[in-house]
Amino acid sequence: MGYANSDHGNAAPLAVKILIAGGFGVGKTTLVGAVSEVAPLRTEEYLTHASVGVDDLEGVGAKSTTTVALDFGRITINRDIVLYLFGTPGQERFWFMWNDLVNGAMGAVVLVDTRRLEVSFASIDFFESRGIPFVVGVNCFHGVKDRTPEEIRRALDLDPQVPLAFCDARDRTAGRDVLLTLIDHLMAARPRTTAHPVA
Amino acid sequence: MKHWTEGFEDDDADEPLVRPYTITGGRTAPERDDLTLITLVTAASEVSSEAGRALRRMQPEHRTIFALCKRPLAVAEVASALNLPVSVTKILIGDLIEAGQMRARPPLAFAQAGGFPDMAILEAVRDGLRKL
Ligand SMILES: Nc1nc2c(ncn2[C@@H]2O[C@H](COP(=O)(O)OP(=O)(O)OP(=O)(O)O)[C@@H](O)[C@H]2O)c(=O)[nH]1
Ligand SMILES: [Mg+2]
Repeated sequence: MGYANSDHGNAAPLAVKILIAGGFGVGKTTLVGAVSEVAPLRTEEYLTHASVGVDDLEGVGAKSTTTVALDFGRITINRDIVLYLFGTPGQERFWFMWNDLVNGAMGAVVLVDTRRLEVSFASIDFFESRGIPFVVGVNCFHGVKDRTPEEIRRALDLDPQVPLAFCDARDRTAGRDVLLTLIDHLMAARPRTTAHPVA
Repeated sequence: MKHWTEGFEDDDADEPLVRPYTITGGRTAPERDDLTLITLVTAASEVSSEAGRALRRMQPEHRTIFALCKRPLAVAEVASALNLPVSVTKILIGDLIEAGQMRARPPLAFAQAGGFPDMAILEAVRDGLRKL
């Protein structure tokens, strides 16, 4: 296929990633688990080193540092592409220290819980400030749709261009549909280039 | 049914950094900065006898990584499998790449430098997701 890196001798596919964000307990890990083809994996990082690149061990033996954990899953798209989903740690201040987490993401899904919309404000601010495309997924805990999309948009002060979709983070199809909403959004947001008209 | 997140204990939150950095011989930062969470790493299919000897002199963790990566794995997957922090895992993978025992494929960069994703890739991802 045309997009495979032809100068690459090995058989590794192309990796892409989507971030699953939102405040504490909004269902990030649940969504990753619902759509991933493997049981979600967990890994962690030492933020002091990730961010400042400490290059000697002086003093390190004595002190601990901030450990931040994230969980992730994978979806094999086809022979050439594998999609990784990263449930971001709830505290957004970490993301500024952990460039590798955000860099290179296709986009993000920000999950919100209508009972606690405010816990996801910081995630929305983050992606807006970084210019990273995102969609909002309204996780309907217990199937409750207690607020209209308009009410939620207003409460989140959401840009009218940002799609908002209801979902159940525990459901594979619903989770997949939120990811599809993001992909459609990315396709629509792509600027039309006259030099390369889309056939 | 047990929720699958049970068993993810934060028991090592305050663990001193000594042990992971013993594995790296005291190094706390990777020499190469091109490895990302989703860089896919694969063990070289043929390793020179010299490189094979080098592998035997490395840490057990190096050999574990080499064995795991018979098929391509993301750096994050390797870190998770070894239960090591990402930065430590990157140092070990860097050693293996340096020694010619592994190859890395960088991910496609999105959301950087105002780049827009390739339409062909978006379509492929969309089609793949629809089949889920
Ligand atoms: N009833 C119901 N429960 C849900 C739903 N989504 C998540 N939960 C539950 O809500 C709790 C929090 O979900 P998680 O997926 O752990 O949320 P999270 O965003 O990963 O949480 P943190 O990582 O702690 O910020 C868990 O007990 C889930 O089982 C849902 O759609 N309906
Ligand atoms: Mg979680």
